[in-house]
Amino acid sequence: MTKTRSIDFSKLGLRDALDLATIIEEEAKERYQELADQMELHHNAAAAHFFRFMHDVEVIHERKLFERRTALFGKEPRTVDRGMIFDIEAPDYDSVRATMTPRQALHTALAAEVKAFEFFEASLPSVTDADVRELFTELRDEELEHQGLVQKQITALAPDDAITTEDMGDDPVAQ
Amino acid sequence: MPTSVAALAAYQSKDFKSDLKPIWCPGCGDFGVVQAIYRALAAIGRAPHDIAFVSGIGCSSRIPGYTTAYGFNSVHGRALPIAQGIKLANPDLLVLVASGDGDGFSIGGGHVPHAVRRNIDITYIVMDNQIYGLTKGQLSPTSPKGLKTVTSEYGSLEEPVNPLMYMLAYGAGFVGQGTPADMAGLADVIEQATRYPGFSFVNVQSPCVTFGEDDDQVKDHRANMKSLASLGHDPTDRLAAMGLAQGYGTDLHTGIFYKNPNPPPTFDAQMRVRQAELAPKALPRERILDMFVQR
Repeated sequence: MTKTRSIDFSKLGLRDALDLATIIEEEAKERYQELADQMELHHNAAAAHFFRFMHDVEVIHERKLFERRTALFGKEPRTVDRGMIFDIEAPDYDSVRATMTPRQALHTALAAEVKAFEFFEASLPSVTDADVRELFTELRDEELEHQGLVQKQITALAPDDAITTEDMGDDPVAQ
Repeated sequence: MPTSVAALAAYQSKDFKSDLKPIWCPGCGDFGVVQAIYRALAAIGRAPHDIAFVSGIGCSSRIPGYTTAYGFNSVHGRALPIAQGIKLANPDLLVLVASGDGDGFSIGGGHVPHAVRRNIDITYIVMDNQIYGLTKGQLSPTSPKGLKTVTSEYGSLEEPVNPLMYMLAYGAGFVGQGTPADMAGLADVIEQATRYPGFSFVNVQSPCVTFGEDDDQVKDHRANMKSLASLGHDPTDRLAAMGLAQGYGTDLHTGIFYKNPNPPPTFDAQMRVRQAELAPKALPRERILDMFVQR
C-alpha cells in the first residue's frame, strides 16, 4: 500500500524532510480532531476527551517541527504538500466505534504510533542525506517512545466492564 | 536547490472539505472515501466552483454536503438523471455523482444502462456497503446470499447484483474499484475516472460498521485486497476485465478493470457538434412557432 506520492526519498533534503514531518503531524492532528468530533456527536465523552488530548499532543509536535524548520530555512517556500502523504501517523478511521471504551481509544492511538514508526523505519534505507537520516532516526525513535507512553496509560487503566459493546448487539428482527 | 518532490498542486485537499461535520457512524468506510475524493479533486486541480457533486439518498449521498463544490443531494435513485442534466446544461463543469448500492442499483438501477450508453462525461462513485444502512439494515441489491438482515431474518435467498459486471456489460468506458483500506489507491482510481473523457464508474467497497456483515471488513480488505496492477492486468482488455469482475463478492480487486483506450465522443461533445451544425438553420425566437404551423 502506497503511503506517499511523488516523493523520492533518495533525493530528500532536510528542508523537505522537516516539511514532510510537519505535515505528517498535521494530518494526525486533524484526524484526532475528527475522531473527537465523531465521539462527541455520539455522546462518548471519554473517548472524545482522549482524542482531544491526542490532538493537542500532535499540535505540540507539529509546532516544534515547524519552529525547527523556520530556524533553519526561514520562509523558504514549502515544496511538499498534503496530497503527497496518506495516513502515516493519522489513526485509522475504521479503528473507532461509537461505543468504544477509553482502552480501545488508547489502542487506536497506539496503532497510529506503530504505523508512524514503521513509516520512518521503512523510509530510512532509501534516505541518502545524512541530516535527513538523522532526523528520520530521531523521529522513528520518538514514535517508539510515544508507543511506550500510550502503553503505560493502557496498563494503568482499570479493566473494561465485563459487558462489551458486542453484548449490546441484537440479532436482526423483522420489521 | 534541487527538489525531491513534484511541483505543488494548485489546490489542496482541505480546499474541498466543507465546514459540515460528517454524521456517519464512527468507523464507517465513507470517512475514508470522502478523504480520497478530496485528494483526487486536489490532484485534478479544478477550482471548487468548477465542480458539481450530485447524490441521491443514503449514507453515501451525504458526500456533496461534506464537499466544497456545487452540491445537489437529490431524491432516491435519481442522481444520475440530475447529473446528466447538469452536465448538458453546463458542459464545462466537472460532474461527479455519489451513490450507494441501494440508491444506484435498486431504486435508481433503471437509469444506469442509459447513463452508460449515453456516455455523458460524468463520474459515478458508488459506495457499495451491501446493505441499506441509513434505514437500519435491510437487504440491498449487492447483499451477499445468506445475509441476515431485518428483512431477511433467516438469510437472503437472492443472488447479489455484480456492479462491475453490470457496468462492463453495459459498455462503460471506465470501470474501477477501490476500498477505504487503501485511500491512496482509491484516490488514484477516482482521479483517473474523473480524467476519463466519458462516463466512468468507480465501485467502492465501503463497509457499514453498524449493519454490515462483519465488524472488521476494512481490516479484512487490508489483508486480502489485490491490486489489478500487481496481477499484471491489462486495463484495455475488456474481456479480461470481465473475467476478473466475476470475482466480485469473493475477491477484492482494486484499481482499474477497464479503460477504453479509444474513448468514443461523449454525448455532450456530440450535442455541441449537432448544435453547431443546426445553428445556421435555427429560426429566430420570434418565429419559433412557425415550426408547428401546417403549410
